[in-house]
Amino acid sequence: MNIPPAYAELVTSIEDGEVEAGTAHTRQLLASGHSAYAIFQEAIVPCLKEIGDRFGRMECYLPDLILATDVVKGIQEVLKEGSEGSEMAPVGRVLIGTVFGDVHDIGKNIVASMLRANGFEVIDIGVSVQATDFVRRAREARADIVAMSSLMSTSIPYMADVIDLIRDSEGDAARFKVLVGGGPVTREIAEKVHADGFGADAAEAVTQALALMRQR
Amino acid sequence: MRNRSRLLDIIDKSYSGPACDEHEFDMAFVAAGVTRVVKKHGIKLDKSRIVQSDDDMNDRIWQAGVEFLESCGVYNTSTGRRMVFTRREIEEWVKSAPREAIIGEGRDARLERHRRVEDLTPPIIIGGPIGTPLSEDLYVPIMQSYIQEPIIDTTTPGTLDTTFGRQPRTRSPYEVVAAWEEVEMIFTAARRAGRPGMSIGCVQMGISEVGHLSAISWGGYRPVDWHSIAMFSEMKTNNDLLIKTAHSVRTDGIIQSFYNPILGGLGGGEEGLAVLIAAGLMAMQIIYMATTHSTAPVAAMKSATTLPQVLRPISAAIAGLSRNTPMMTDVMTSPLSGPCTTALLFECVAAAIVATTCGVARLMGVRSAAGVVLNHCTGLEARFNGEVGYAALGLSREEGNRIVKLAVAEYEPALAVQQPGKPFQEAYDLTTLHPTPEWQAMYDDVKERTAGWGLHFM
Repeated sequence: MNIPPAYAELVTSIEDGEVEAGTAHTRQLLASGHSAYAIFQEAIVPCLKEIGDRFGRMECYLPDLILATDVVKGIQEVLKEGSEGSEMAPVGRVLIGTVFGDVHDIGKNIVASMLRANGFEVIDIGVSVQATDFVRRAREARADIVAMSSLMSTSIPYMADVIDLIRDSEGDAARFKVLVGGGPVTREIAEKVHADGFGADAAEAVTQALALMRQR
Repeated sequence: MRNRSRLLDIIDKSYSGPACDEHEFDMAFVAAGVTRVVKKHGIKLDKSRIVQSDDDMNDRIWQAGVEFLESCGVYNTSTGRRMVFTRREIEEWVKSAPREAIIGEGRDARLERHRRVEDLTPPIIIGGPIGTPLSEDLYVPIMQSYIQEPIIDTTTPGTLDTTFGRQPRTRSPYEVVAAWEEVEMIFTAARRAGRPGMSIGCVQMGISEVGHLSAISWGGYRPVDWHSIAMFSEMKTNNDLLIKTAHSVRTDGIIQSFYNPILGGLGGGEEGLAVLIAAGLMAMQIIYMATTHSTAPVAAMKSATTLPQVLRPISAAIAGLSRNTPMMTDVMTSPLSGPCTTALLFECVAAAIVATTCGVARLMGVRSAAGVVLNHCTGLEARFNGEVGYAALGLSREEGNRIVKLAVAEYEPALAVQQPGKPFQEAYDLTTLHPTPEWQAMYDDVKERTAGWGLHFM
């Protein structure tokens, strides 16, 4: 990690999952003249990316990823107080959920954490989500990407339902890109349901999400 | 069965247990709980080995599992409450687990029983594609290719890719239609293979309680079949699953529970995974009053039970349970590779030896190509999986470890990029239902090579 030494304690607090220490260090850095933008770009972004990469290599685990993103959420609230919003704009906004009939969430949670670690704002709408709710929540959140997870082949038709609803609306079709993944979901199935992207695992989901944002 | 009388106690706990936010459950109870017991009990797997034979460590993993289960409980996502159990309840209810059961009927009836570590009695061999999607036109011949294998004692089907040409949808009338189509097709396959009384693992198309309740009824699946009920990662259940449980208990069914914790997930690394396996299987005995308890853990980035870092925790946890409980366990051979690859067969060697030497009551397989590629499965690899299980009888875990490491060396390169192999119709003659010469030759070659390593095939 090539992070300036001034941010060392902040980085440690993120890695250790220490929310209070993280927000305290952030306030100190702001008070000593560091800009919110610099703190975000030079410390938080590379730190989260590194943790996400370590998770991908199984050098750290899901709780570490979740705790790190929890710390960053707290830090971002502090940074927002002292910045203009656009300086720390997320890479993109992803609405993620498990499709109707499926209650598995760990895969979805892993992808959500990895996306956050890579700079996305993620709105997690939970499990067994009806197709109409996916679209409604995506509109409310003004999402860029609708990400759907399924661990059961018999829930895959509900992914197709969401995509059909989006394609049936010109506004939604222009706005939302759709990313799918999960155990039985293959590249072929993703193409068959007309998804815009597919992630065989969480790492590929991030790569695909970044690629979809570049297309916008 | 004597462990079934607590059904109402279990349902009550879903409504009376302490309320808890799901995120808090994940982080404060599961993640923190596993970390705490791993540290407290000094759990450390020997990474130089795959088959873990330090029984002091294996016993501590079991103890850690008990303690973790006591502190964590099981979360019911339908009620938002933790089902909690005292130490006394855990110990008593685990002790009440059945040590043996008869599955199937007539000449196809089989006795399954608790096995010890390095036990000389063979495990029950479950042969089936376990949820792999199968096209309707090939469903019967594919399943017949498993059931016709003499070494296979019981089977569990694949899923239907379509039902009467339609896409099956969970929680819809299609689910009921698909569940009954599964019943009709699997019983047809069993009759065609000459084994009408074979016990069937069900209901593959009963993803929700809708299909389960419908197909386990008059004219459908029988009490002699084993009714699958899942606990999902990590340490969670819901009312749909408890409805399945209540139905199977009241219809006097054989309940096979299964739990697939995730390496790298909330339990952390290998040591945490071992604790989760132990705790999870005991939890399912308690809440589902199960007869058998299955696990097929996977890694966060790779869905296979044959990764060395998954096999290690499996071996330790299963040995710990075998040594300290009467529970009948099973482990699924779930390789990444598919039919007509030697990698698939070597993955079976590793998984089957680990499971058999560490004391499983049942050896389940094979979920070829990770169970996700249409029709990529055949009875031949299930036959081989069973043969390796039998050949592993009499092996010490030390000897088993030596052979497993040889097998891992053969397939580990194939773990980087999945080799799905060939679909059934290219691996088998559809008229004779025999393997093609190519697939037969691969099987013969791998069997000969592994015999040379010290596996004594019958």
